[in-house]
Amino acid sequence: MKKYISTTKISIALSALLTLGACEQNLEVKPRLAVDLASAYNSPEALNAALNGVYDVLQGSDIYGRDLLAVPEALADNGRATNKSGRLLPESQNQPGSHLANWGSSYVAINRANLILRALPTSTAPQATKDAIEGQCLFLRGLVYFDLMKVYAYFPRAVVASQNIGGVPLLLDGVDDLTKVTFPARATIDECYAQIAKDLDGAIAKLTNNNTTYRAPFFASKGAAQALAARVALYTGRWADALRLANDAIASGVGRFQTNAQYLAAWRAASHPESMFELSYQTNENIGVNVSLQTSFTTLRDPGNRAVTAGFGDLVPTATLLTDLGITRTGDVVTRGADVRALLYELGTTGRGPAEVECTKFIGRSATVNLDNVPVIRISEMYLIRAEANYELGNAAAALTDLNAIRTRAGLTAATATELSGAALLNEIMRQRRIEFAFEGHRFFDLKRRGLDITKSPRNIAFTDFLLLARIPTGEISLNPSLKQNFGY
Amino acid sequence: MYKGVFKCLCVCLLLWGHAWAQDRTISGTVKSKEDGSALPGVSVLIKGTSRGVNSNSDGTYQISVPSGNVQLVFSFVGFEKQEVSVGNRSTINLEMNPDASQLNEIVVTGYGGALNKREITGSISKVKGQQIENMPVQSFDRAIQGRAAGVQVQAANGIPGGAVQVRIRGIGSISGGNDPLYVVDGVQINSRGTSTITSSNPLNFLNPNDIESIEILKDAAAASIYGSQAANGVVIVTTKKGKAGKTQFDLNYFTGVVEPLQKLNVLNTQQWIQMRSEAFFNQGVVSNPAYTRQQALTAALTGVRLAGDLSESQIAALPTYDWQNEAFKNGIIQNAELSASGGTDKTTFYWSGGYLQQSANVINIDFLRGTTSLGVTHKLSNKVTFDSKISLSTQKGRGQFGGPLGGSFLGAAAFSTPLIIPSVPIRKDDGSYFGTAAEGGIPGVLNQNVIMVSELNKIQGIQNQAVGTMSLNWKIAEGLTFRPSASIDYRTIKGDNYTDPRTPDAFNVAGRLGFQYNQNVNFLTNAVLNYNKTFQEKHGVSALAGYEYRSDVNEGYFGTVEGFPSPDFKYASSGTNYITTGGGWNGFRRESVFGQLKYDFKNKYFFSATARYDGSSRFGANNRFGLFPAVSGGWLITEDFLKNSKVVNQLKLRASYGVTGNDQIGFFPALGLAGGGFNYNNVSGVAPTQMSNPNLKWERNITGEIGLEYSLFNNRVTGQVNYFDRQSRDLLLNRPLPITSGFSSIVDNVGQLQNRGYEFEITTINVKKGKFKWETNFNFTYINNRVTKLVDGILPQQNRDSLILLSAPVFTGLGNNTGDITLGRNFIVGKPVYALYTVRYAGVNPATGRPMFYDENDNLVYNFRSPGDLKYVGSEFAPIYGGFTNTFSYGGLEVSAFFQYEIGRMAFNNQGSFLSENGNRLFNTLTDVYERRWQNPGDITDVPRPYNGGAELRGAGNMSGTRTLENASYLRLKQVNVSYDLPQSILRPVKFIRRAQIYMQALNLLTWTAWTGYDPEFVGLGSGNNGVIPQSRNYTFGVRVGF
Repeated sequence: MKKYISTTKISIALSALLTLGACEQNLEVKPRLAVDLASAYNSPEALNAALNGVYDVLQGSDIYGRDLLAVPEALADNGRATNKSGRLLPESQNQPGSHLANWGSSYVAINRANLILRALPTSTAPQATKDAIEGQCLFLRGLVYFDLMKVYAYFPRAVVASQNIGGVPLLLDGVDDLTKVTFPARATIDECYAQIAKDLDGAIAKLTNNNTTYRAPFFASKGAAQALAARVALYTGRWADALRLANDAIASGVGRFQTNAQYLAAWRAASHPESMFELSYQTNENIGVNVSLQTSFTTLRDPGNRAVTAGFGDLVPTATLLTDLGITRTGDVVTRGADVRALLYELGTTGRGPAEVECTKFIGRSATVNLDNVPVIRISEMYLIRAEANYELGNAAAALTDLNAIRTRAGLTAATATELSGAALLNEIMRQRRIEFAFEGHRFFDLKRRGLDITKSPRNIAFTDFLLLARIPTGEISLNPSLKQNFGY
Repeated sequence: MYKGVFKCLCVCLLLWGHAWAQDRTISGTVKSKEDGSALPGVSVLIKGTSRGVNSNSDGTYQISVPSGNVQLVFSFVGFEKQEVSVGNRSTINLEMNPDASQLNEIVVTGYGGALNKREITGSISKVKGQQIENMPVQSFDRAIQGRAAGVQVQAANGIPGGAVQVRIRGIGSISGGNDPLYVVDGVQINSRGTSTITSSNPLNFLNPNDIESIEILKDAAAASIYGSQAANGVVIVTTKKGKAGKTQFDLNYFTGVVEPLQKLNVLNTQQWIQMRSEAFFNQGVVSNPAYTRQQALTAALTGVRLAGDLSESQIAALPTYDWQNEAFKNGIIQNAELSASGGTDKTTFYWSGGYLQQSANVINIDFLRGTTSLGVTHKLSNKVTFDSKISLSTQKGRGQFGGPLGGSFLGAAAFSTPLIIPSVPIRKDDGSYFGTAAEGGIPGVLNQNVIMVSELNKIQGIQNQAVGTMSLNWKIAEGLTFRPSASIDYRTIKGDNYTDPRTPDAFNVAGRLGFQYNQNVNFLTNAVLNYNKTFQEKHGVSALAGYEYRSDVNEGYFGTVEGFPSPDFKYASSGTNYITTGGGWNGFRRESVFGQLKYDFKNKYFFSATARYDGSSRFGANNRFGLFPAVSGGWLITEDFLKNSKVVNQLKLRASYGVTGNDQIGFFPALGLAGGGFNYNNVSGVAPTQMSNPNLKWERNITGEIGLEYSLFNNRVTGQVNYFDRQSRDLLLNRPLPITSGFSSIVDNVGQLQNRGYEFEITTINVKKGKFKWETNFNFTYINNRVTKLVDGILPQQNRDSLILLSAPVFTGLGNNTGDITLGRNFIVGKPVYALYTVRYAGVNPATGRPMFYDENDNLVYNFRSPGDLKYVGSEFAPIYGGFTNTFSYGGLEVSAFFQYEIGRMAFNNQGSFLSENGNRLFNTLTDVYERRWQNPGDITDVPRPYNGGAELRGAGNMSGTRTLENASYLRLKQVNVSYDLPQSILRPVKFIRRAQIYMQALNLLTWTAWTGYDPEFVGLGSGNNGVIPQSRNYTFGVRVGF
């Protein structure tokens, strides 16, 4: 009897132990904050969400969140670093290695676009939706490749041949697993620009100007694609294309050219009325007090209120830019000329150090400090592109018309053909570009695409200086034997 | 099939239990020789049989013995075994001697196991509860610092109740976790800190004074029973248990002060102005147009809102304000606790309750804790015992600006106060803050009055914890027990970070509240079958088999709200702008079977084999299960040789080899994922976040060890020496991919590390004369840590001396609401982990005052741009550490001094870098650095000339490279303890007092180090020592009364 009981007890104990035995289903735990990558692009809603994922990259502070607007101003002759936080000082002194660094984020955006482009043909979404998404992906890919080329390569008409290593690697297929990872070499400059042109042509073909789901200017439109294509044509010296595309862009109805009376208010509106393509920033996408555009450019919280310090005001206009703007400062008194654009510059606070005349284009226009939408292309640029293209094509009169559209809108007198001709006309077009787009990230590239030296304090930078091109991240060079570093690094 | 086998087993068992002729009864009382107290639970066994009884709660026993000359064997934990011939006696009273030999100590080994130390074949260090008693620390991990060889403890910061890092035998993982597994009374605690507002430690729930002992399982043989959680070692904590008998109460109270270790010596206003104007002048010489001396002075003055035309005498009259003095304050510490222990033969209980209040040495940072725990053991029958324990705890801590990791350190008082320009007042004449946000803040880069920020902001975390466990111990037959148990470890964290609308950071948004609610539910159940038997008096066999299931789920909500009507409104409902909200979920499940087999021959040769088979949801579909085996053996040499030696009492040689796993590799590392949150224009977005790797598996540690345990000179010298070789394989690394693929990396099992080292422990009784005793305890650990393999395919272009370098994210042991928190660190093949890799600073050119560096070929350069210029310059890994204690006792008086040391750790003094800028920006500077600056051609110094902006033209920044690299080695007089037990002669008249003790302690009394910052003991979880609250010096005084 005793023996029987013991045996039973042991059997119960043991079987309890063993029947609990491992079942694999117990170990299936799925993440709840993410979905399986393999099926992430299956539904139309998912494609739409994935498209937002591409725009999302562009918002980063290493792309349009700050760097693509602020760093080119610091590298060129528009911006002077105040050393109030120490940021942008190395860039403004053109220290080796201090440059734009949009390589990594750009390729992340490109891959996200590529993955969508690959999934589109088999999607069950309506054709119109598919076209809209495809057009936007092509636009965004073209934009990002163009930004890479601006930073890491020479422009086709201004090459230092002995230092030219080419364009950037072109990746056109999406990567979502290890087998698709490649180790690409740099394409030539011409190959890259051919691809950019092809993407933008595709975007122009697929996009419309009145999509109600993807509204301009926050999403890419046909007009935006034409405008970007015009800019690419201008930068690469395809003058006739630039002229044609700028005409198309102006005719598209995307972006409204502002009058003199509207000009200042346009820069205080949440969304700039001139924007042909503008990146939207929502309250939870605030870049913050360290590297937002507002904190980079001004100490002010609100225009005209010197009592309250918000940002650092790390980068302020250089003396030569202030001269071009017609601004003089004596003590705390700032005087301006007729140019309405000078009203976008005012004396900052002493909260972070001595007061400076600061740019207030980005001043928390979305009603929150450090939160500004970023205009990527404004329609004013189309007029100056057309002026420059016409100048290069020998149409001086047409060039002057567009130049004067900008000048008179600013409150300046219209220039006459006798006053401005030949090189002087081109110089004035370039000077108006400098003033109109100051602190919007154009100046460095305007000089670079024309092969011009940078004249600045404390020292000038020759066009032939290797510093003009950015360093490809060294980790990428170590990983990819086919990838060649830029000259000098 | 099993049935048959176990029938046989049972038959065998029953054969031992055959009936004996019962002819007489022996009875008596067993007492302790030391204090005469009755000893309950002493095993009284008839020698050569398995028949025996245990003594009752009053120490009495009664046993029937057969006729003839019978020997009784008395044995009890912590006492020497005694054999007594019964003879004709019917009463045998016995006084047992406490066990002097450490080799006979009882050691807890996990899953209910406890072994006599002589039987142990693995590597286990033990810290007794009384060694760490009354230390003014908040968790036991801090208390074991320096107490055990091979165990390195580093407080992340000086915040009371803040995070702690424990590393057992080096660093065995690169991107995975390095934290040991903590098992408290059988409950596997989730020790991943998830407080994002204040620094907190999940082990705070346990009052260290409730601890009976802490066992640290270090090698594979000891730890592999815990399988895939064991690679970083296992810390087993056993809390105090109730004893049958009259209920005994113990009241304990201590109080004391907390003071800063040191303040930094920085410039006064006049020196600062001089430095800053030199900086402008030096820059002006090359800029266009150049500054005159007067212009430079004016620029220096106006930069901090002083009049630009101050005369020399006006400058000399300017006041200097000591900001550090306002930030660093003496705090108080108070601890009160009461415990009760008692019960009957059938039921015993232990209850304790405690309250702790401790401030940091920096204003408005403190810690409060209330704890209560109740453990009950009840015998349901002779065969079944029910055990349960529940511990509840609530903790409230105030933290500092910048969060627990010290990220936004600029607003943190400990970081900022030495850096604020000394001419800036702290308060106005009326006592209100100077430089409010409305007034544009204070001059300088540090634009906020950090004293105001510290006092007005409310940064608070509340952690509530409940840990409960129950188990049954069913003695199925003699030697065979079955022990099922279940436990829950439950933790909630509520955090609020309210940035006051009067402070600069929130002035423009009318106040900001960041909040967090996080809960962790960790459920564990297991069942263990245990068998112990000695055959023919020489073959000792024990076997263990078990099954276990664990599920751990972490969930949380968090958000940010701005726009509060006034500073009086601090809760989310009062805000107007909802900036972000979020919710997170993470979890894992593990299912395991495990077994252990032990055999000893004549109690002198020992052999043990362990294996665990673990399945975990964290791993790839192709590698869901893993096996972790270990074998070990021991030989008690003194049983064979040296038996009659006067010198050697006991000598044991042991060796082990085995495999353990590390599953702290994130929650879903193997899956290809697309995550949400990539929103645009208020529309939700998704994007790929990681590529899949279905082959992913655990990290493996293969550990071999040889150890010698010794007891010499009549047990006056005891200790052990170990050599271990811990090879970490299949380490998870983010194998870098070219970013042109859209992914920067994929997780793969590719890395390898090794930790080889020695551990040395020695305890000597130097003097023992009458009532006087002097005991010394010393431990030393040396670890040779090397990265032996990183990913393939990285070209040495980046580092031309063929150092293979990887910058990898390292798991900090902390998590936030959505995932683990990692930190970038460097790894170089052939070097220790956490390599410091930078350009070498070469000092100052005596002719120009410009900083110089060595390039790749050791040439002096002003600037560097070739990746080859970067070199390995040291590691943050400390290869040597340990502790040293001297204890003197005379009767009831005991004095002990405990030193703790760490040698060989190099680290950047990040705060020191700011403090050495010498006028680059609007920061203050260390006086020592200022005085050593270059001033005139020919000056030989290591401090460059002041230069506004910090980088000379075409020169690297003057704080670059190794300039702020420092040796963080230190020796610290960690604890001095004086206690006095009132003699019984005094207490006896006061009838109800059983014992009374008064004691004093000093913590962190003295530190010897070359480190120039506040404190060399910190863990850089965010940005080095930036924003880290330093440790404090504590003095406490306490009384303990038992009644």
